[in-house]
Amino acid sequence: MTKALIDVKAGEKVDIFSINAGFKAHNFLADLGIHEGEKVRVVKNDYGPIILEVKNTRVAIGRGLAQKILVK
Amino acid sequence: MHSSDDQGRFRNIRKKKRLKKRKGKKYYSSKNHSIEHVIGFLGNPNVGKSSLFNELTGSHQHIGNWPGKTVEKKEGHFILADEYFSVIDLPGTYSLSGRSDEEIITEEFIVQERPDLVCVIADAMRLERTLYLALQAFELTDKVAIIVNMIDVAEKHNLEISRKKLASLLGVPVILVSALRDSSLIELKKFIYDAIHTDKYDFHPAKILYSSKIEAIIRKISEQIADRKVLKEYPVRWIAIKLLEGDNWTRSELSKEFDLETLLKTLEEIKEKESINPKVEIAKTKYSGLHTIVTQSVKGDLEFKETISDKIDKIVLHPIFGYPILILIYALFFFISFSISSPIIEGMSYLLNLFAEYIRSLMIQSSSPEIITSFVVDGIIAGISAFLLFLPLIIIFYTLVAIMEDSGYLARSAYLMDRFMNKFGLQGTAFLSIVMGFGCNAAGILATRIIKNPKDRIRMIVSLSFIPCAATLGVIAFITGIFFEPWKASLIMLGLYAFSIFLTLISSSILRLFMEKEEPLPLILEMPEYRKPILKNIYYLTWSRAGVFVKKAGTFIFSASIFIWILSNLPYGVSPEFTILGYLGKVFSFITYPLMGLSWEMIAPLVFGFAAKETIIVALGVIYASGDLKTVLLNLWSLPQVISFLLFQLTYAPCFATIAAVKSETNSYKWSLFSILWPLFLTTLITTIVYQILRLIV
Repeated sequence: MTKALIDVKAGEKVDIFSINAGFKAHNFLADLGIHEGEKVRVVKNDYGPIILEVKNTRVAIGRGLAQKILVK
Repeated sequence: MHSSDDQGRFRNIRKKKRLKKRKGKKYYSSKNHSIEHVIGFLGNPNVGKSSLFNELTGSHQHIGNWPGKTVEKKEGHFILADEYFSVIDLPGTYSLSGRSDEEIITEEFIVQERPDLVCVIADAMRLERTLYLALQAFELTDKVAIIVNMIDVAEKHNLEISRKKLASLLGVPVILVSALRDSSLIELKKFIYDAIHTDKYDFHPAKILYSSKIEAIIRKISEQIADRKVLKEYPVRWIAIKLLEGDNWTRSELSKEFDLETLLKTLEEIKEKESINPKVEIAKTKYSGLHTIVTQSVKGDLEFKETISDKIDKIVLHPIFGYPILILIYALFFFISFSISSPIIEGMSYLLNLFAEYIRSLMIQSSSPEIITSFVVDGIIAGISAFLLFLPLIIIFYTLVAIMEDSGYLARSAYLMDRFMNKFGLQGTAFLSIVMGFGCNAAGILATRIIKNPKDRIRMIVSLSFIPCAATLGVIAFITGIFFEPWKASLIMLGLYAFSIFLTLISSSILRLFMEKEEPLPLILEMPEYRKPILKNIYYLTWSRAGVFVKKAGTFIFSASIFIWILSNLPYGVSPEFTILGYLGKVFSFITYPLMGLSWEMIAPLVFGFAAKETIIVALGVIYASGDLKTVLLNLWSLPQVISFLLFQLTYAPCFATIAAVKSETNSYKWSLFSILWPLFLTTLITTIVYQILRLIV
């Protein structure tokens, strides 16, 4: 079952299924290790950008972008 | 392929050339060292690269710009066994696959300057993420060594990293260090020395093999461009990967020589048919390779743990409490910068005045012509003073910014402001340039480099002059202090600050309407762990920014002061009204008086403001020469005029130093001119409306 990253609660660990972002954003995410098939943990998701934990790094991602990332 | 002999000869020639090039510049002199080595430091942001660089090179540093680019070039050196090691601190970057200025510089440096060694700095706690850059560097050169930093933190977390295993899997030398340990420094120097001199280490960087589909395309491209004349220094595999990733630069360079049409067409077809994004596939393969390497060489629990930083963030980034904390921290920040610097500035101003008067009396005694005395004292010395008086605030301001940056809070404030800034078509990172701009607009403009979208960045650059800098604040404080009780004055000051931030954002939004829309780049920002700020880092960060002000603004303020002296003193010996400036003021006042109530005496000082805003008050004093300035103004200016003056001077135009910064950052005369006319237009419009309304009411 897939849902948007923005709907994932803090503390949950999910698999990235697809990223529907623009070319630049998609590439930048890939360079940070955020790509299809990667496991990420949502550290914070309330107001403001979402914070993900990926490869032991915290990365903040704008909410608009988080809507375009589908996870399992 | 060169034979090893050939290569050795080539190296020596290169070295001699390098020394020659640097001769005459005292700083670079390696006079007693016949052999010079060049080392590049490459790494992600937040891996402690700059700390290591600072430790290694100490005070032997030089900050300049990369030729033709606005990116800072940090160069330092250390000496070991009578040999000279020149270290280049390459700009912090997450990858070498985009085409930002930082990445172009790094790639060109590696390929064209052919450093003796490229050190990739990795973070022991984030090996996978930070070694990604190393795998990209492997595709450009063999001469790579890995410095795994923050090994102390890893030990604290019971992580055991096998240096040997890591080195054999990566195929290049590896050293484990901690910037905090003294022993690490000596080991590191020796490591670099050995890597260059001995055959103690191997340089056979691990080759990443991509999926068979991708490898097939790489092979195909490689065959076609094998005999290329362009991009000759770049490895063929690297070019093929770049083309595959959709890089425009390699594409346009190659199409000078080859007809890439058919090749690119097949590439597109494959992409369509297989529905793959090569760039992402390539990154994925690198990461999965790294995952294997890291799991084999690291023992210990790498699972997610809630860190202290996470706990702090629960409060600091809290949707409700986060904002009062943000306001409190920035209020404290401004309070400290102004309350520490104002007594220093007052003291300095007193001393500089004494000095100026002393010189004046000396010159009068030696009966030098009056006009020369005035030029020296009111032109040259006044110019130097204006510049010196600005330094304390700038230095204290940027020290505090550096503390916030090094501790990790600056990234948090960008996070908190993101949603708000989005409403104006900007990302949270743009907030940081506004903060910097409060110190000095020119420095704020340099801080816009963090904004990745070129058009967003230009909008911000030309909108930043709506932010009142520290010097403007001095004018506001003086004027409000005359006309209002203290509490009203503070309220008005706050109001003007809020108004200027609002104007900056509105300006950016208006400009957006007229600019071609491009793909918006959403916020993607690493939240570094909080840490105790390191004194050395603070020192170098402050110095690199204050240095910008000193270099750029210093010469500008000085030459502008002389220019202004000419305007305001010639023809010599007449009252201010009949100088060039007086006439200029009168011409302007034909427009400004009916619209905004600004008489020539009020406008003329603002011409001074172009040079440096802090001279506005001095200029007012010169023009209203009869008696105490405060009482004179109190008698002459009506309330609507006071408000009108405050509003107009707040944002009417950038100073020369800021215009120079706009020119150097946008590289465009059009935008530089726009950055003068746009604030002038918008400020005139707003001030006119406010003044006309006030005149009806008051």
